[in-house]
Amino acid sequence: MEVLQLIVNGLMAGTILAVPAIGLTAIFAVLRFTNFALASHMTIGAFAGFVANVTFGLPAVAALGFAFVIAGLVGVLSDEFVLKPFRRAGFITTAIGSIALTIALENIVRFIFGNQLRGYDLPILRDWNIHGIRVSPQQVENFVVAVIVMAALFAFLSFTRVGKSMRAVADNPMLAAIKGINANVVARLVSFVAMGLAGLGGMLIGLDTTIDPLIGFKTILQIFAAAVVGGLGSIPGAVVGALVVGVGEELSLLVLTPAYRTAVGFIAILVVLTFRPRGILGQRAY
Amino acid sequence: MEHYLVAMGVTAGIYAMMALGMNVIWGKAGLINLGLVGFFAVGAYTSGLLTLRLGWPIPLGIAAGTLVASLVGVLVAMITVRLRGDYLAIVTLGFAETMRIVMSNELWIANGTDGLSGIPGPFRQALGPHLFNLQFLGIVTAATVILFFLVERLVNSPFGRVLRGIRDDEQVVQVAGKNVVTFKIKAFAFGTAALGLAGALYGHFTSFIAPDLFAPLLTLYVKLSLLAGGLGNSIGAVVGAVLVVFFLESTRFIIPLVPGISAVQGAALRELLIAVALLVVLRFYARGLVPESIPQPPLPTAPPEAAVAIERVR
Amino acid sequence: MRKTTRRTILKTAAAAATVAALPINANAQSGEPIRIGILTPLTGAGGNDGPRMLKAMTAVFDEVNKQGGVLGRRIETVVEDDQTNPEAAVRAARKLIEVNKVPMILGTWASAVTAAVAPVCWESKTFLMTVSGADSITLLPHQGFLIRTQPTSKLQATAHGEFMLSQGAKRVGIIGIQAPFALPNKEHLENTLKPKGAEVVSHVIYEKDKPTYRSEIDQMMRGKPDYIYTNGYAPDTVVLLRDLYRAGIDMPKFAQSYAVPQATLDTIPPEVSTKVYTGQPSADIESPAYKLAADRTGDKEPDGYVSQATDWASMAVLTIAKAKEASGVAMKDNVRKICQGSGQKVYSAVEGLKVLAEGKEINYEGASGPCDFTDIGDILGCRFRYMHVVKGKLEFLKLV
Repeated sequence: MEVLQLIVNGLMAGTILAVPAIGLTAIFAVLRFTNFALASHMTIGAFAGFVANVTFGLPAVAALGFAFVIAGLVGVLSDEFVLKPFRRAGFITTAIGSIALTIALENIVRFIFGNQLRGYDLPILRDWNIHGIRVSPQQVENFVVAVIVMAALFAFLSFTRVGKSMRAVADNPMLAAIKGINANVVARLVSFVAMGLAGLGGMLIGLDTTIDPLIGFKTILQIFAAAVVGGLGSIPGAVVGALVVGVGEELSLLVLTPAYRTAVGFIAILVVLTFRPRGILGQRAY
Repeated sequence: MEHYLVAMGVTAGIYAMMALGMNVIWGKAGLINLGLVGFFAVGAYTSGLLTLRLGWPIPLGIAAGTLVASLVGVLVAMITVRLRGDYLAIVTLGFAETMRIVMSNELWIANGTDGLSGIPGPFRQALGPHLFNLQFLGIVTAATVILFFLVERLVNSPFGRVLRGIRDDEQVVQVAGKNVVTFKIKAFAFGTAALGLAGALYGHFTSFIAPDLFAPLLTLYVKLSLLAGGLGNSIGAVVGAVLVVFFLESTRFIIPLVPGISAVQGAALRELLIAVALLVVLRFYARGLVPESIPQPPLPTAPPEAAVAIERVR
Repeated sequence: MRKTTRRTILKTAAAAATVAALPINANAQSGEPIRIGILTPLTGAGGNDGPRMLKAMTAVFDEVNKQGGVLGRRIETVVEDDQTNPEAAVRAARKLIEVNKVPMILGTWASAVTAAVAPVCWESKTFLMTVSGADSITLLPHQGFLIRTQPTSKLQATAHGEFMLSQGAKRVGIIGIQAPFALPNKEHLENTLKPKGAEVVSHVIYEKDKPTYRSEIDQMMRGKPDYIYTNGYAPDTVVLLRDLYRAGIDMPKFAQSYAVPQATLDTIPPEVSTKVYTGQPSADIESPAYKLAADRTGDKEPDGYVSQATDWASMAVLTIAKAKEASGVAMKDNVRKICQGSGQKVYSAVEGLKVLAEGKEINYEGASGPCDFTDIGDILGCRFRYMHVVKGKLEFLKLV
């Protein structure tokens, strides 16, 4: 029973990680670098959602949409003006540059909103008790949102022209260019969707915790871990990775104190990568 | 003011040593080690514990810190030998975080989150704070210079050329009959030794170390040092370290000149300025202020043939 | 109590009126300003608490400056961000000490930051006032250059234990953040509860920065507690309270006042914070210092950090006035002369300055306690102020 509860808790924690992890992996698939600026876009999404929900009084779903759009737009702009010129210098420079970018953006948020903790103006619900296993309705909602997003993204990549061209760029940039696919448009599109997802993920985490400028920074390592374990560049991989990290951390509580949670998570990553050096689902874009 | 500059000089020296160490692992061998604070911590804790608890003389403690960090480096390298790029990055980052968590939880090793206080420094009492710092600036400068020449000798040796080969195309090196694994492990051993040395010196300089010290922030500063200075070359590493410390510190003096902002806004603006300054350097000096002297094709897009051709030209 | 408060307010008002009427007098301050270093976290994990402490200190200095400063000199603060990181904090402290030549640094928050900054301070004879909770802080060889207004873990845990006993707690479950004070707190709580027939039934230490503590709560609940003792900071305590509510655990919960200040309570639904009790160090019931801090900061119920920051600033001003110089050594030698002993009790810096000017001895009684210090810089003892959260608002419960 205890194990079952831990697995349920882990699945729910993992689902929240999955949303931004998909964003991270999507950028990697197309643009070939790990964009750590995802962290500040999560923060931006959480605050955009806050403005929509508390300042404008919009309901949760509308606020989530707002978080997605704002974070996505900032993502396109920051990629266009800051990260794009770096890409010529190589993926390491771009990745490290994205860390500097994330610090810059986080501090713009801090400059505007300050450090004080904030919260959404939304009711809190008690857990459901299903045969002794507690499940939180809010986390089920998060779960549903995450699943819808993943399904939508998957459909977009598989069935639309733009989605197919994104996959083409991911698979073989040179061939895609020959076929007349505009890599710039694809880059902007993937930045918008990925950072939008980061913003959405940031707000989802904010719903469970508090909103402050560090919200993205606190979770980025876990998200990075999830994307890597699943296999960078693979969207289903990001989901699997997030669930592995989430459940792995929870199950560690069976043998170790909660203070070792993160450490066990990293050891689990090491074990996975020892057997599959490129993550569980390797490196495929879809 | 001059006392402050001396202390910041010591900080820059410590950063420079870390950057030099990282340059071997990352700049030369192309292995992304995001766990550098972990090795820094191993050096600091080893030397701190040995001198404080067992009364070892300071130089011996520093030597031990360097050695143990290097051994741990070898161990990590052996575990991660099949991993590259981001996969290696996350595991090394995990190593550093695990180190921090273990040191926080296992109180019996070194007081947990309380940290180790009162780590001895050479002639700390006799010299007084100002002379002590000046003396330490001498020690750190000497250590940096020695390390600098060691790294230079290393990278210009056949060994260094093989490392660059691994960075640019591992398969070619393998085909050439070199044991890539051994070379990677050796690169880690050398680089982490430098990180351990920097950590040990830092502990004896400030007299206090704690798990909180080894947060990813420090890793980031050193990474940025190396990139800003010029990845893959020793002068660049030192220049970058000085530049980063300059950005970190000079911004303190700019913020009070901005009128009408709160203290939190000032702090946010300072971090923003630091980040933007580094972004500007990276943007306009994509290969660092002091680029690596050997012509290199851009890393990710270069077809392997080009790398081979360049290897042959060399 | 009411009488004293009214008198003090009247006095302050009268003094303010005098200053307003005589602007020339206020400008008559001559000489270099006295620079005081403030090193609080403004970014990083402590970023939520640092600004509040800074505001409380600035409010005291502003009040003093309006009344003509101290020793005829204005007080000027130099603020640096410790980034909640020991390495960054040491660099900031060196700048304050070597460039701004501050005689004292007020405000370090994280224990590791304080322990890292303290040697820099005592070696350069700079005085340090802190809120850090680790017992090891005052055991450092600081030669008197450090005082801490946060009660030791023994003082706190004993008082908190007695409070929970008075609430009828029999089985206490502890759930706290990974921090230096975690283990000593548990021991002291056990020592307090045992003789009274109560016990600690579970003890869970969690990691900071996690988005949920569901499993940690389940682990704590396995001991079947009837009272929950939380011990963390605001961001994690909010997550904890939310998860406790979701799990349907409605028993009373104790928290540090700084973990659930009113501003934080305002961000969570009121049902989440029902049956939350908070405790903070406090002075005697008749002390108006707490009320004055509330008026100055505009915060109706200042938490433990705000009241302690108020006391640092007040003690700094009064010690400078008493010593007739602003140096670290003078601070170390004189701070105990203004905050303990048999002098006339004063409750604010401005009031104390007046009494000192009359040539009398003073004893500052602060917002966070009587501010009497042991030789190693810990507070000797204090009362505790307990609050109860009712419909999302902090309400005064009792002073013990």
